Amino acid sequence: MSETADIVVIGGGVIGSSVVYHLAKLLDPSARIVLCERGPVAGATSGACMGHLMVTPDTAQDYALTKTSVELWARMNEEVGGFDYNPTGALYLAETDEDQEMFAVLHKQFADNGDRADVLDNKQLREIEPGLAADVPGALYYPGDGVVLPMLACGAMLRGARKLNPNVVVRPHCAVTGFEREGDRVVGVVTEHGVIATDTVINACGVWAPDLSERLGEKRLPIYPRAGNLAITGHHVSPIRTQLLEISYLRFAHAASEIDPTSVDSDKGGHAVNMQPQRNGGCLIGSTRQFCGMDKEINRELLQRSLLRAERYAPGVAAAPIVRTWVGLRPYSIDNHPLIGPWDPVDGFYIAAGHEGLGISMAPITGLLIAQQIAGVETEIDVTPYLPSRFVA
Amino acid sequence: MSDLVIDADVGVVGAGPGGMAAATRLAAAGLSVAVLDEAPRAGGQIYRQPPVGASASVGIPEPPSHDQGHALIHEFERARLLSVHGATVWDARPGRLWFEHEGRSRLLRCERIVLSPGAYDRCIPFPGWTLPGVVTAGALQVMVRGFGVVPGQRALVAGSGPLLLPTVTALLGAGVEVVAALEASSRWRALRAAPGVIGNAARRREAVWYMKQLWRHGARLQWGWTVFACEGDGRVQRAIIGKVDADGRPRRGTARTIEVDVVGAGFGLVPSIELGLRLGARSRYRPERGGYCLVVDEEQRTAEPTVFAAGEICGVGGAEVAAAEGAVCASAILGELDGRAAAPEVLRAARAERRAADTMLRAFAPLPGLNELARPDTLVCRCEDVTRKQAQQAAEVHGDSMRAIKMGCRAGMGPCQARICGPSLQAMATGQNARVMDRPVVQVPLKAVRADTIRNAPEAC
Repeated sequence: MSETADIVVIGGGVIGSSVVYHLAKLLDPSARIVLCERGPVAGATSGACMGHLMVTPDTAQDYALTKTSVELWARMNEEVGGFDYNPTGALYLAETDEDQEMFAVLHKQFADNGDRADVLDNKQLREIEPGLAADVPGALYYPGDGVVLPMLACGAMLRGARKLNPNVVVRPHCAVTGFEREGDRVVGVVTEHGVIATDTVINACGVWAPDLSERLGEKRLPIYPRAGNLAITGHHVSPIRTQLLEISYLRFAHAASEIDPTSVDSDKGGHAVNMQPQRNGGCLIGSTRQFCGMDKEINRELLQRSLLRAERYAPGVAAAPIVRTWVGLRPYSIDNHPLIGPWDPVDGFYIAAGHEGLGISMAPITGLLIAQQIAGVETEIDVTPYLPSRFVA
Repeated sequence: MSDLVIDADVGVVGAGPGGMAAATRLAAAGLSVAVLDEAPRAGGQIYRQPPVGASASVGIPEPPSHDQGHALIHEFERARLLSVHGATVWDARPGRLWFEHEGRSRLLRCERIVLSPGAYDRCIPFPGWTLPGVVTAGALQVMVRGFGVVPGQRALVAGSGPLLLPTVTALLGAGVEVVAALEASSRWRALRAAPGVIGNAARRREAVWYMKQLWRHGARLQWGWTVFACEGDGRVQRAIIGKVDADGRPRRGTARTIEVDVVGAGFGLVPSIELGLRLGARSRYRPERGGYCLVVDEEQRTAEPTVFAAGEICGVGGAEVAAAEGAVCASAILGELDGRAAAPEVLRAARAERRAADTMLRAFAPLPGLNELARPDTLVCRCEDVTRKQAQQAAEVHGDSMRAIKMGCRAGMGPCQARICGPSLQAMATGQNARVMDRPVVQVPLKAVRADTIRNAPEAC
């Protein structure tokens, strides 16, 4: 098989699918866009994660990225739909009275960005979520968050792309084994089923992105797998209707790790409650974080601690049937920011990876920014902080 | 740890014929044996005993093979062993079986494990298969024989394989009119089963008994027929039946409608191998044995040397095979302890039973054409409400592997974890009817258990 493509996107997760979708929206429908995925579409991290759409207000820059992206999800739901989009908002729960002091900080962060969040006392909280433990003192409610089912979203975006552009080709079970390059230019992608001649390639391989860059003859990207243990209940037993997070979650999950991610044996792992109601009445329970290489075996001890914490907030979890537990690998980038843009040393080679636990939230904006950079138009937001060139030196 | 943790020399999973045969022999030899079984009483699906105090099977005649069942149960219930019923094994490692029992999280620690967890009914979706009143043939048998429930007045039994006969005779014995009994295999294909029956005295006796039962009630098996669809307002009231070709493809022109109020559909069995895979056993696809089966050596040892397996988990073969292989497991374990091989006569007996079963069941290997019964809007995954068309659309974008189909439409990700839809899902979504299906993926819990069972599990994994 010998073929040519204008653009080859490698990686059929939520990032790769979004890149394809936004390229199809932005480029002329004559552009031939090929997506290569070595396994099933959504078969790796995007099929093993939670689905939260989360606005992080810590800095104006993070806020712009996540807020724009979560709004793009709502728009995509109108445009293609079919991925259980559910704008539940998010409840940040306090466990103790001291925790409630953190509400003010978060509340101010949202306000500083011109957004709003509401502080709820125990009574207001229990009216919204009667399934919560009686002694949860209160919560901060942020209405702008939501939940999607990421694996369905991947398929929906790719179907949407094909509708816009009949020259979009989706090729699952087609591994990329290498590249052809001429000096500083990429000129072809070598797959297990043949070579695709192209001058534009996007590496959207998540935790495998470093391997892929290495195959091009470039240095490994500083992206490291960070494992999460998840559990899901049967249908119609979810004790909650809104997405729940411990207030400590923000600090735990989205602050830069103090642990060296390259040393896989040193991380004992941690956890913070994140629970998401599912369309079928089930409840997804997370989440843990641990650097332990590519190991996808359940860490039972961490999972047990995670379930215990979920029970502390929603006691009904204890008796809920768990139908499955599994491990997903988040692509943690060493400076805690994703890599979105060209890899300067090689013309035509782009990176869209390293989103850690916010890959679902950030997928639409990532796809849009990559598409805009390739099309050579002004980007939606300032992309400078996310350019991979920060790691070239 | 009180009684939450049990220690034994050998842990046995399943108190059907395979588990009972192994456990009884091991206990008789003086080993400490603990048996974990899901049902309230020993017997397995085939020799299921009614609940204590119930008089369920009164009046329902039993085939001669059940004499063996009664003998096995008799010996098992008198053996010096611990039998835990209502136990759901949800995780395992060599030497460790974690289980939920009466809402508590418990652990069995043992040197060796014998697995005999049986099989599942093979479901092949057809329009109306999710209507109330449509159940598997196995479920009908359990209702009638196990619980004394008369499920309806006018029954249709359809499917394939030797297990249709016990269902039909149980219904007849309970006074239900069997309007039609349909075997999808053709009479000619079924003739291939003959050597496996004629060459085995017990199976011969069994076949004659079933034929007599059918004659007595004026019932007969229609070869090369199956159920095309079920219809009804809120529950099954009618069934569309018709002929199938040699591959099982429906010949729509032959369709006719019959009035029924209960339907048992059973297209054979699928081995329950998840526990074996979790413990490190290897598996192989063998269509004549129902799909993926554990690979064992001559002494029923899996790739994990402390784990043995007997019966349907090694491939569907029936109660006689299970009991014979259970005896091999016991003989092999006792042999290991004494530094010798398993008794040759025990091995020979198991080999003969397995050979006869393989010959017989080859005639009833799943017919690929039956996957065409489902229409585009027929549910193929009843947990997640996924239609055949949705599964096809998922395969088209996400890929044609089992995992791809799951990721593309959620099929197989609900409470049954693809135990019901798995065997035909991939074929129906991809249209590649004859292709070998992907190996099932094992995830913990092996069966759904309470969150606090996982949280309270004794010992680390």
